[in-house]
This record gives sequence, structure tokens and C-alpha cells, in this order.
Amino acid sequence: MPVVVACFKWVVDEAYIRRGAGGALDFSSVDYKIGEYDRNAIEEAVRLRDAGGGGSVIGITVGAPESAKGVKDGLSRGMDLAFFASDPSFKDLEPSQTAAILAEVIRSRIPQYDLITCGEGSSDLYAQQVGPRLAELLGIPCVCFVQKLSLEGGKLVTDRRVEDGVEVVEAPLPALVTVLPDINTPRIPGVKDTLMAGKKPVTTIKREELAGSFGATLKTEAMTASSLERTGEKLAADAAGIARFVDTLRKSGVIR
Amino acid sequence: MNFKLTEEQELIRKNIREFCVKNVEPIAAEIDEKESHPADLFKKLAEGGWMGIPIPTQYGGAGADYLTNAIVVEELSRSCSSTGFTVSIHVGIACMLINLFGTEDQKKKYLVPLATGKHLGAFVLTEPGAGTDVMAATTTATKDGDAYVLNGTKTFISNGPIADTYLVFCWTDKAAGRKGMSSFIIPKGTPGLKPGEHFHKMGLRSSQTSEVVFKDCRLTKENLLGAEGAGMGNAGAAFDHGRVGIAAQGVGILQAALDESIKYSKERVQMGSPIARHQAISWMIADMATDLQAARFLTYYAAWLKDNKLPFTKDASMAKLFAAEKAMHHTTKAVQIHGGYGYIKGAKVERLMRDAKILEIYEGTSEAQRMVISGTVLR
Repeated sequence: MPVVVACFKWVVDEAYIRRGAGGALDFSSVDYKIGEYDRNAIEEAVRLRDAGGGGSVIGITVGAPESAKGVKDGLSRGMDLAFFASDPSFKDLEPSQTAAILAEVIRSRIPQYDLITCGEGSSDLYAQQVGPRLAELLGIPCVCFVQKLSLEGGKLVTDRRVEDGVEVVEAPLPALVTVLPDINTPRIPGVKDTLMAGKKPVTTIKREELAGSFGATLKTEAMTASSLERTGEKLAADAAGIARFVDTLRKSGVIR
Repeated sequence: MNFKLTEEQELIRKNIREFCVKNVEPIAAEIDEKESHPADLFKKLAEGGWMGIPIPTQYGGAGADYLTNAIVVEELSRSCSSTGFTVSIHVGIACMLINLFGTEDQKKKYLVPLATGKHLGAFVLTEPGAGTDVMAATTTATKDGDAYVLNGTKTFISNGPIADTYLVFCWTDKAAGRKGMSSFIIPKGTPGLKPGEHFHKMGLRSSQTSEVVFKDCRLTKENLLGAEGAGMGNAGAAFDHGRVGIAAQGVGILQAALDESIKYSKERVQMGSPIARHQAISWMIADMATDLQAARFLTYYAAWLKDNKLPFTKDASMAKLFAAEKAMHHTTKAVQIHGGYGYIKGAKVERLMRDAKILEIYEGTSEAQRMVISGTVLR
């Protein structure tokens, strides 16, 4: 009957980001969502609980108070209860801060757990650091990029994707994993799942209730849209077209 | 005044959108072409609880409000109007009527399987000679002791060939005029109930439509929905609820027309620039976006009135009239924006335009809506 902690982040849905005048990013009409990989982390936690014939899934997220909707979204995906570290200053955290806050919430509020699941990275920053940093702060083993996992006889058994194959890695519990998207297919919550989510227990934790300081060490100077200029030149797939293609690349300095 | 949806409504919209992108959009063109009912899709809809949203949980529904149901019908219709409509008529009419007027036994027997999506419902009112003129109906239920014996032919019945539960309107006492019509719940397989063959339609082609014929169909008092003679009132309630659904369907079609028009006009280059930069096109899109917003507000307002237990007959008609006519108008504009590509089978706007036309006809023509609206405002 495992107790699994699922970490997730409420991020800007990139589909709504527009490119404003002068290449600036326009966030004025954005909507938010639970990060894509974090959905896999939640789904895997729920799967382990259900496969283990009981136990519980505890969700944790850190964010600005507006992220409360994300907590409800997370709960609609099968979590039993949630902790929400909420403060206006938690809006644009960097991975070290997020990991420190998560660690403090877990240390102070969750006395016993078997596994922590995180997505391989967030959908916005995709720094892939929060999982390993959190494991380090808690002093527990960490297995990253997991595509398959099970809890067997008090230990964690994982298939971990590496560049040239798959490693089978075991670790004692409690442990932390970051999961890849192909570990499962996240559910789409049904109507009742969403309606019931609001009735599940949520503990909101303010900054002043957390021990430690979570100061930023990085500063965002500016953000601009990437641009891909097109010349609109069409080249035929014949010898003359290919010659022109090579010529064009040479002139523009792409090849020499 | 508050234009903001609840967090639950916003999340449900996101979830049904994701569901549609994954499960509805990929099959919409094919089921239109083949005129087939997507039974697997409806199984998934049932599993997610999408088939009984505003029905109380004790009767198998989700216990949510009618506005949430409208949002779901809108999003389904944005991907596939046939699917949106099938859900709309099932929930908005079949489920709602039994929930409003059914006895406890009827709710347990009929509403629970409907609201959980195990069964599909049909609304059986229209006849070959009785469309807008409901009084011209000729189907009768003659009393024979404690039993009723139904005879007559109904037509253009949505879900007719595939429904499990039919809500049928007919005369129990023709001489009593409006007070002589009654409504019955008739399960599939009842002797004397015969659904006809699927009609081939211009649009909404995967929605199954047929005649339903009654020949000495024997029923008992247990089949009667509400009191004897309450049929006309029940039909009125059916229209009020159903029209909010049709309006939502129009909103979904308008949104899809706008989505497609924006996407195509930004990609299509003519005379050296994307056609979205040509004023002739950008103004069409501006009008489309404006009418979409107006249609959505009218529709949500009618649903909000219903949820707040306020009269909404006129407002449901206004929403249905406006959304239907704007959907028809703007889907032709969407095809215009796509030019020849929009006229080819497989272009989504081609299907949208065919699907839009029925909105001006069923569950009360646009003319019938104007009768309802003028009848109220001139009172």
C-alpha cells in the first residue's frame, strides 16, 4: 500500500503565447495547464497506488496563489490530497528554489512516503533539475528518465532510458524518480473527477509557514520570441533547382 | 455581473477539448462520409460521464449545471457537429424530460441507464404532416381498459434507428385540443414499435435519423410520462432545454469555422502576402469572431437562466435563432475564405457548412423561434 508523492507545476499553456509587436512575447491572454511531463508523474503515482491495492497519492505544487486551479486539476487526475505552497513571490522560481520549497514541505508535512514522482522536466523551463535537487536535499536515491517502474519487496525497480539503451536500476525506498512521457498515457479527467476534486483536502502553506529562505540567484533580463525568417523562395527538385539551392546557401554563408 | 466561468467549468472545457482532439476530431470526417454512428466513441463518452452532466448523481448523472452541459456540447460540436447533437438531444431532451416529469420508478428504470450513457434516448414528436404545427399530429394512443394502444407514424427522429428509449408524443384525447396530448416513455423492443431506416442527409450525417412507426403498440400507465394530457407542456420543456443545446452546437460550429479560417488565412499567400492581411478576408474574420462571441453569450445566458431557475423560453429561442443563422452565414464565409480548397470533400469547412444548415430547421425552425420571441416581447 504505497504512499506516493507526485510533484507537479502549473505552467503557461504555450498554445496561447502570442508574438507581439517587435518580437516580444505576449502573455496577456494565456491559459495555464499542468505541465505535460508532470501529468505522467501524477498518472504513474495513481497507477502505483491502484496497483498496490491502497495507499495514497499526495500531490505537491509550488506557485503563486492563482495556481489554485492547478491544484484542483491535479486532484481531478486521481490524487487523494494536495499540499500547495502558495505565495505571490513563488511565481517565477528557479529550480533550486522550487526544490528547496518542495523539500521543506515534504520534511515538515509528510512524515512517511515510499516514492516521489516528478516529470522529466517542466513544460516551461525544462531545466530537468527539480527532481534530482529535491532527492539530494532529502537525502534519498534518485533515478532519472524512467520509462517503466515497479515497487517490489520494499525496493524500486526501474527501466531507465539512456542514450544507447535501457538501464535496469534498483534503489531502496524511499526514492525519487523523474519519468519520461512514454511511461504511461495520462487520463483525461471525466466530469465527475473534476467536480469531486474540489471536495478533496488541500493544505495551503504560506511562505512564512516554511522554514528557510528561498532567495533567487538568477534574474530574467528579457524574453523574446524566436523567429524563423523565410525568404519565400521556391526551388524545383530538378538539376537547375538544386544548383540554385546550393548557390543560395553559399551566398547566404550557410555553406562555404 | 460576472462573465467568468467557475474553475470546474474551465477545467471541464479543457478536458472535453482534449478528449475531442484525441477521440472525436480524427474520426469526424470518416463518420460523416460513412454516415455511421461511432459506438466506440459513445462508450468513451459514457465512461467519462459526459452523457448525463446535468442529471442528479442519484440518477447516474454528474450533478453539474446546464451551462456545463452547454460548454460540453459546444466543444463536441466544434470537432463533430453530429456527435455534439447526439449528446445534446440525449441529455437535453431525453434525460431532462424524465428527470423533470418522471416518477421515481421511471427514473430508476429509464433515467439511470440514459444518464450513465448505457442507453441512448430519442425525442419522438415530428410527423410527416406535423412539423412546426404540432397540433396537426395524427398519432393516437387509444385507451383499452387500463392500457393505451399507439398508432401512427413519426418522422425525422434523431437517434431513431439506434435509440434504447423513445419519448413519444401523441393524442390521448384529440378533442381536448392542447390538453389532449400525452407523452410516453417506450423502451426499444416494445411490440408495435418499429424504427425505420436511416435517412441520407445533406449534413449531420453520422447522426442517425429515421421514421418511427407505431402499429398497435400496447402500453400501460407505467409508460406515461407525467399526467395524461401533459404532453404539450412536456414538449415545451423539451424545446426550451433542447434549444440551448442547439445554440451551443451553433457556437461550436462557429468556433470551428473561425479556427479554420484563421489558420488557413495566415498560411495562404496570394499577391505576395497571407490573405489574412487582405482587408476583404480580415473583415470576414472580424465579423465571424464578433458573432461567435455574441452567440456564445446568448447561449450561456440562457443556460444560466435555467440554472438559476428563471424563465428561459424566450432566451433559449433567441440563442438558438442567432447561433443557427450566424453559423450558417459564417460557415459559407469560411468556405469562401478557403476558396476552391474549401469546396473539396475532406476540408473541414465543407462539412461545417453542410452541418450548419439543419440548425435553422430542427427543434423549431428559425421562423418558429421568431414566433416564440415575438409572442413574448409583444405580449
